[in-house]
Parts: sequence; structure tokens; C-alpha cells
Amino acid sequence: MGGLGYFPGDSFLHRANPILKLFLAIILVTAIFAIPSLIAPAAVLAVTFLLAVSCNSGKWMLKIIRSMLKFSLVIFIIQTLFIQTGDTLIPLFWGLRITYQGVMFSLGFVLKLIASALPLALVLRVTKGIDLADALNETFKIPYKYAYAVASAMRFVPDFADEMKDIIEAQTARGVEHDTKGFVKKARLLAPICLPLLLSGVRKAEVAAISAEMRGVSNR
Amino acid sequence: MLKFEDVSFGFTEELFENVSFRLHPGEIAVLTGKNGVGKSTLLRLCNGLLKPKKGKVRTAGFLTDEHKTSSLARHTGFLFQNPDRQISKHTVAEELLFGLSLTAPDTDEAEKERLLADITTEFGLNPTDEIFTLSKGYRQLVAIASVLITDPALLLFDEPTVCLDKHQKKTLADGISSRIKAGKTALIISHDLEFIDILDCKKLILKDKVIKE
Repeated sequence: MGGLGYFPGDSFLHRANPILKLFLAIILVTAIFAIPSLIAPAAVLAVTFLLAVSCNSGKWMLKIIRSMLKFSLVIFIIQTLFIQTGDTLIPLFWGLRITYQGVMFSLGFVLKLIASALPLALVLRVTKGIDLADALNETFKIPYKYAYAVASAMRFVPDFADEMKDIIEAQTARGVEHDTKGFVKKARLLAPICLPLLLSGVRKAEVAAISAEMRGVSNR
Repeated sequence: MLKFEDVSFGFTEELFENVSFRLHPGEIAVLTGKNGVGKSTLLRLCNGLLKPKKGKVRTAGFLTDEHKTSSLARHTGFLFQNPDRQISKHTVAEELLFGLSLTAPDTDEAEKERLLADITTEFGLNPTDEIFTLSKGYRQLVAIASVLITDPALLLFDEPTVCLDKHQKKTLADGISSRIKAGKTALIISHDLEFIDILDCKKLILKDKVIKE
């Protein structure tokens, strides 16, 4: 149920044309940044959530939003502290203050960040990578090699997430305190994950490229 | 050393129900069963990576649902199916000492050198080799050695012989047996009949959601 990859189903979104879904996602994301109001990201968030519910993925989307909220909160706090112009809401220490403009800008920023990530995540949820590659190839005449590369790259996103989870699990079993509750400590422990993650990523990409080549992808 | 008391666990549906068994110090058990029955899941319950939905798992005297996996790592040595996932450093020596630095941070330099020399000799490893230039069989040996160097009381190995040749399997079996004789305990998942035959062990089968001996 979790993750960022394809989730099988028979909803109208699953059956819809991949290009249409991609196009709709791009329109939604563009609207977020083109309309200078908090209403746009809020509306996109609501529409995307309703679409997710329609294809039995409401819980999944709430999980994604919840995990994004964690780092969004950090971004919100940093942004708010950096913007020192405007009317003071709360005076802090060392001359720092929380301003109305700072809060509104940071809120908008975080809302846009979350809302803009969700439509594409939903497209990946309801579209097989290979269907997207075929559609890009047929509709836009994008050479299959490149369309396949895009689809493969998308397929790698959930793979990387799973891989990262496994590496964290393996390191925890060896005594690395990934199971600590402290956010700062947890963040600091992410550095040793980079090497195994990078190496396994390169290895996977190499194997996938050889396998694709052996099946004649470049001849299509 | 390891005690399961009426343990039930599953994700979307129950993988096993009311499982009870125990392993004493100096005992070795091999767990077998069809693919997908939950063998690796059961192993993850032993060191607290997963917590039981019902029942208790006691490892080295500690209840796993009351202790963090990272603190249980002082007593358990866990080997994953894919060695690459647990390798975190560039060279063999760095990798072997990494686990030791986490579970026994007070070990002095001379003792570290001795442990490193012993384990690399035992498994035929070169400490200066860069791990990701090694074959998968040797990477598996590095992962095994990095678990054994910490001298855990309970060994939890998931398919340790994957990628190993006949000679390496014999080295591994000898290494495990000598530790069992020294009072350690091991629970090993394996389908490798040749390897199981070498080990003098208790055989457990996970079937129909229960463990059978």
C-alpha cells in the first residue's frame, strides 16, 4: 500500500490515458505557481486528495502528506525566522521576531511544496512506467530509448525508497541508532547511508541498462 | 537465549499464530519453510526490527518490545539476505571495525587489531581490499565477518550461504560451529541442504502458521 510506485487497480484513473494524466498533473502544478494566492495550492491539494480517494489511495496520500509535513515544518520555521520584514506577531530573543509576512510567505511556500509534489506522485501511483514510456513514444514521437529512460527513472524512485529503508534496517541491526526519537540525531545518521545507497543505485542502473540493451530497447 | 512465547504476527494477514519455541546457549537451529511463509519476518522479530502483535519475544533476556533494536545489537548478530545492504564502508578493515565501534566502543586499538587479524585470517579476507571491487561471494563473507567480529551471543543469519562456494560454506560452518561450542546460540534460515548437513543442528519448519520441529 505504501511507497511511491505503481499500485494496481481498476479505477478510472488507472484506466485513463497516461498522457492525459501527466498533462493534468502538469496543469495542476502550473496552477499552483501561476496563481499568486494560497487558494491555488489548497484547491490543488483538495482536488488531488479527492482523485486519490477515487482510486482507493486516500490513506496512501495522507501518509505521504504526513511524511512531507515533518520536513515542511523545519522549512517553515527556518523561513519564518529568516523573514524579518513586516508587522511583528511574536517578538523573540536577540532582536529576532516572527512577522505576519514571514508566517504567510512560509505557509504559502510549504503549502505549494506539498501540493506540487502530490499530483505527480498520484500519476506514478496509477500508471505503469512502461505504459507511460509507450504513450510518450506514440503521442510525442519521443524516441523510445529516452521515453524508456524516463519511465525507468520513475520506477527507480520507489526502489530507492525501499532500498533506503532496508539499509536503515540493516544498520540499526548493527547498532546504529536510527531507531532513536531525536530528529537531529536521526538526520545526522543519514550520512553513512549515502555510500551503500549510491553504490546499489549505480549497480541497479547498470544492470537495468544491460538488461534493456539485451532486449533490444535501442532498436525500437 | 531466545524465547518465543505465543507469538503472532502478520502484515495484512497473519503469517504465524501462537508460535512458541526456545533456543538455549550452545544450541543451533536451522529454520526452513516455503518461500513467503514468513521466515525472514520471524528472524526480524528476534532482534526487535519487528515487534510481535501478540505474545513475547525474549532475546538474551530482554523483551524485544521494550528495547530498541540498536541496543539489542550488543547481543545479536544479524545477517541479511543481501550483503550489500549492510555494507557501509569502503574497505574490508573499515567495514569490520564499523560494527565493533558501535557495539563495543571501548575496545582498545591493540584488541581491535587482534580481532581484525583473527577474523580476516579465518575467512581469508584482505583488510585493505575495497569491498565493492570484490565478488558477491566475498562481499557475503565480509558481511558475515563483520557480524562475527562483534562476538554476539545470538547469531541470526538469513540465507548465509547464498553466493558462497563449497570451500567458503565449509569455512562458515566451521566458524559457526566453533562459536556454538563456545556457548553462543544461532538461528539460521537456509535452504542449503549441503550446509544444513554440515551443521549439527535442530531443524525447525515454519508451516501452516506454526513452527514444527
